[in-house]
Amino acid sequence: MEHTDEQLTTKQQTRILKRLLSYMKFHKVLLFWAMLFLALGTGAELIGPILIQTFIDDYLTPAQFPVEPLIALAVTYIILHVSAVFFNYFQQFWFDKAALRMIQRMRVEVFGNVAHMGLSFFDRTATGGIISRLTNDTERIKEFYVNVLSMLVQNFVFFIGIFAAMFYLNVQLALFCLALLPVVFILLHTYRKFSAKYYGRMSGKLSELNARLNESIQGMAIIQIFRQERRMRREFAELNDEHHRAWLKGMKLDGLLLRPAVDFLSIIALMLVIGYFGIISFNSPIEVGVLYAFVNYLERFFEPVNQMMARLSIFQQAIVAAGRVFKLIDHDEPAPPKRYEGNPQITRGRIEFKNVSFSYDQTTPVLKNISFTIDQGETLAFVGHTGSGKSSVINLLMRFYEPDEGEILLDGEPLAKYSKEELRKKLGLVLQDSHMFSGDVLENIQLYNQEITEAQAVQAAETVRADQFIQKLPGGYRHPVGERGGTFSTGERQLISFARTMALNPKVLVLDEATANIDTETEELIQAALETMKSGRTTIAIAHRLSTIKQADKIVVLHQGEIQEAGNHEELLQKEGLYYNMYVLQQGRRLEAKISG
Amino acid sequence: MRVFLDLWWYFKREKTSYIIGIIMLMIVSILSLLPPYIVGVVVDLMVENNLTVEGLTFWLIILFFVGLAAYIFRYLWRIMIFGASIRLARLLRNQLYEHFTNMSAKFYQRRKTGDLMAHATNDIRAVEQTAGAGVLTLVDSLTLGGFVIITMAVTISWELTLLSLLPLPLLAFLTNFYGSMLHKRFRVAQAAFSSLNDRVQESIAGIRVTKTFGQEKADIAAFQAESDDVVKKNLRVSRIDALFDPTITFIIGVSYFLAVYFGAGFVINEDITIGQLTSFTIYLGLLVWPMLAFGWLFNIVERGRASYGRISELLAEQAEITDEHADTTKPPSGRFDVEIHSFRYKSEDDPVLNDVRFQLKEGETLGVIGRTGSGKTTLMKLLMREEQGVNGKISLDYRSIERYTLDALRTSFGYVPQDQFLFSATIADNIAFAKPNATMQEVIDAAKLACVHEDIVQFQNGYETFVGERGVTLSGGQKQRIAIARALLVEPEILMFDDSLSAVDAKTEESILEALRMKRSERTTIISAHRLSAVKHADVILVLDQGKVVEQGTHESLMKKDGWYREVYNQQQLESIVAEGGDTGGTYG
Repeated sequence: MEHTDEQLTTKQQTRILKRLLSYMKFHKVLLFWAMLFLALGTGAELIGPILIQTFIDDYLTPAQFPVEPLIALAVTYIILHVSAVFFNYFQQFWFDKAALRMIQRMRVEVFGNVAHMGLSFFDRTATGGIISRLTNDTERIKEFYVNVLSMLVQNFVFFIGIFAAMFYLNVQLALFCLALLPVVFILLHTYRKFSAKYYGRMSGKLSELNARLNESIQGMAIIQIFRQERRMRREFAELNDEHHRAWLKGMKLDGLLLRPAVDFLSIIALMLVIGYFGIISFNSPIEVGVLYAFVNYLERFFEPVNQMMARLSIFQQAIVAAGRVFKLIDHDEPAPPKRYEGNPQITRGRIEFKNVSFSYDQTTPVLKNISFTIDQGETLAFVGHTGSGKSSVINLLMRFYEPDEGEILLDGEPLAKYSKEELRKKLGLVLQDSHMFSGDVLENIQLYNQEITEAQAVQAAETVRADQFIQKLPGGYRHPVGERGGTFSTGERQLISFARTMALNPKVLVLDEATANIDTETEELIQAALETMKSGRTTIAIAHRLSTIKQADKIVVLHQGEIQEAGNHEELLQKEGLYYNMYVLQQGRRLEAKISG
Repeated sequence: MRVFLDLWWYFKREKTSYIIGIIMLMIVSILSLLPPYIVGVVVDLMVENNLTVEGLTFWLIILFFVGLAAYIFRYLWRIMIFGASIRLARLLRNQLYEHFTNMSAKFYQRRKTGDLMAHATNDIRAVEQTAGAGVLTLVDSLTLGGFVIITMAVTISWELTLLSLLPLPLLAFLTNFYGSMLHKRFRVAQAAFSSLNDRVQESIAGIRVTKTFGQEKADIAAFQAESDDVVKKNLRVSRIDALFDPTITFIIGVSYFLAVYFGAGFVINEDITIGQLTSFTIYLGLLVWPMLAFGWLFNIVERGRASYGRISELLAEQAEITDEHADTTKPPSGRFDVEIHSFRYKSEDDPVLNDVRFQLKEGETLGVIGRTGSGKTTLMKLLMREEQGVNGKISLDYRSIERYTLDALRTSFGYVPQDQFLFSATIADNIAFAKPNATMQEVIDAAKLACVHEDIVQFQNGYETFVGERGVTLSGGQKQRIAIARALLVEPEILMFDDSLSAVDAKTEESILEALRMKRSERTTIISAHRLSAVKHADVILVLDQGKVVEQGTHESLMKKDGWYREVYNQQQLESIVAEGGDTGGTYG
């Protein structure tokens, strides 16, 4: 899912475009009405000049003015005009509506797919990339749907309308005007080719420039303390110059191929019409009204051309963005699925790892042949340094990942046999990072779960003693949680996170203990809360606190994915290994404290 | 329109470009009056059967050259006017950047990076638009609009002109009205969109929690609801947006109708010819753009003025920390005499530091210990004058630090910050950041001292490996050690470690500190840390708690007291043994 800007081939571009268009099928009815109104509106708008032509040729030139037909003509003109306004307003609005719905569908689709992916996906993929797909890229596609797609359809219908009217008026001249189309097409194509290159370079430089600026603002303290202001200014100015040069080039290209060129083309078209009628006039009288109408139509013809050329870059960017988004939609990396028949319930909470081996990338083993059991209501503590495999044990137990070898049993049944819902309900994981969501405190305890009532949430908070500080907040449980829970202390966030887990009343408690320093007062609260939580539950803990370790029924020392030492407090003491040393040291300290105290 | 006055200095500076550009714009306006005129003349010739082959050829050639000339001038005025406007963007960007490099830490505490970026991107774009498109629309709507109306009135009929123009002011008014309404609704829609983005950020950041509780479906439902809201608010934008085109075509249509209706009367009375009527309708078409432009002009100018106001305000900010009291440019040596009675960031806040006193001779090491928020970083910042306003005195080399120019003062400092900030450049560039002309050998030596050389040569491109988004992802410890190498390379008089060893393991920490002791016996080093092992060898250790010095002394003297230092030291020793996972051969301190 890396952000790579490889050049897309024409074939790929066509495929992406087709897929973008395929989203139209979900809004057939709306789009049908929009198309109908578009056709009606365009028709009503384009018949106007024909009416004026009729007036000029049939009444004005011969200077005959019968009242009734003229009033009819005027009324028709006005009615058509008003109805064109009406039709065009709604077709535009409905096209927009369909476009917005299409992009919403796509957004929900990407988000849904991302949310359903297994944790392995998130562990390997930079979150910045995923977020950028979901936000920036879909926004680009929105621009395409809203500004380009409907415009293309509208202009296409408009062109057809204009040529239909021209053919109605004068087939021969209309055929001549048809020759303009390839010229317009060549112009469009040439501009597209060069602008992709020039604007690509320019926007590349701009994002480089902005990245540099952003970085400099964040690292200003470093720039200043190392006295590199002058050098950084110079480098920035150079980059700024490069961007300016690229911009100027793009501007020159626009000047050569956009509006000025199209305007020139419209003069050529005018020459065509004048020349045609001029030659006709040598032999026979001409219809001034037809000439008027042609001039009028050609004038209208070129504005959409200008529009289309101006929006080519949106189209280009949207295709690139859509390529990335579709890649994410197509990416399939689900969480490990349920296997085996049956739907067992977790009633006791006995855990057994049998010769479990695991690696994230199939090459570097993270866990090697791990076996242990935890009986109902027991506490097991893992100790070991970073990278020893402690977190992987939890990832496997929570079934975020599947072991490569060996088996994990829960209440005697293989883990894979349980439904995901059952596992999530009965295995309560308390994470190190107590992530807070925006919303209020209560919502953060319930965490979207409809089954948890307010009373249950409050009770859970009471159990972990989070109740005391929550009550003191303005609004109590309805107190809003700011961005990432920034207003709460680490300890308070931990307590809310505990309450979140307790609200589920899990059979098994999985603790990923925080290493962060917490002030003594909250620390005591947390210890007490943990005591309550552990009682009557099987607990598996990645432990950093000595108290947690000492109170555990079993202690497992992990080192480089292997169990180095295991046993309960007494057994480990008798081994005279690490645990023995730790214990002696602690005893010694107490002794020392007594003497000096 | 006041913004044009605000930008007058720039127009004066670029007067050649603007004057030439505006003249060309006027020429183009005049040129665009010719084709309708020619059409009128030719039509009349045709109607009267007076058109000859030579006549037709003549007019067609004229038409062609008018078109060609218009093409060339249209190209050139763009280069002149738009060219000048993008030079303004470049100028403002450079000015802002330079200004940023002069601002002190307080400025960056007050202003969010996102806001500063917004000034440097959106606001500059709005000003550039004013100086380019704004000038264009102003000049064009006045000249083209004026010329067309004059031509219509003078060469055809002023009565007809007046009658047909009646609906057009309504067009300018309505489009301007829609424009401001659209702007308001658009802002609401943008806010909804950015709140959707926040939700995405939050969901992805909290995905582990969501998955732990199996609440993905609820998360998706919430996302769906929020994206519904985005659609709703965008539809409100569309309701207005869809008004533009129909309104324009309607009002233009009414104008045409009036022109033909009354024009026909004029033709019958032989006040004008039928050819003139045809020209007249084409002229009418030419007026659409100036009218619309006039409507837009207000929006462009309004935005430009607000943006330019914000940029000017930013540029007017003065740096808090200056060379005002400096009287020497000689970089100080590392002798500190510090007597801080109190320091607070804002006068109404509680003091962040209280009663901090110590002396440090050249070549000595100061260790600062304490919890997060105890005031360690503040003390460091005060010592290198990244913050100022202390009640008390900080002297370096027997002189108050304010008496050194910032440049001189900073020459003596090497700083390793807490947040391991590296630039998006190669590792070598990062290490040589403070001395861009350093030799490769110097870079490697610094990296070796910081114990990161081994890591660097492991990378495929070694020292040329790119850091940051486009390059390799470094671990926290690697970043930290590169930041250390960066500070070591300049061999500073005073080296500052602001909790800069937090992400390296105990063994690496020990070898870095050992290397420092060897290399820097003559120079001053200041280390703040969570882990006491990092300051064990310091000559003076300060234990800070809530901005106060609770213990002060050497490791030995502090271990003799039964205080916070000893307790924490013992506990950390224990925990490090646990973390080492059974390396029982180690020392327990």
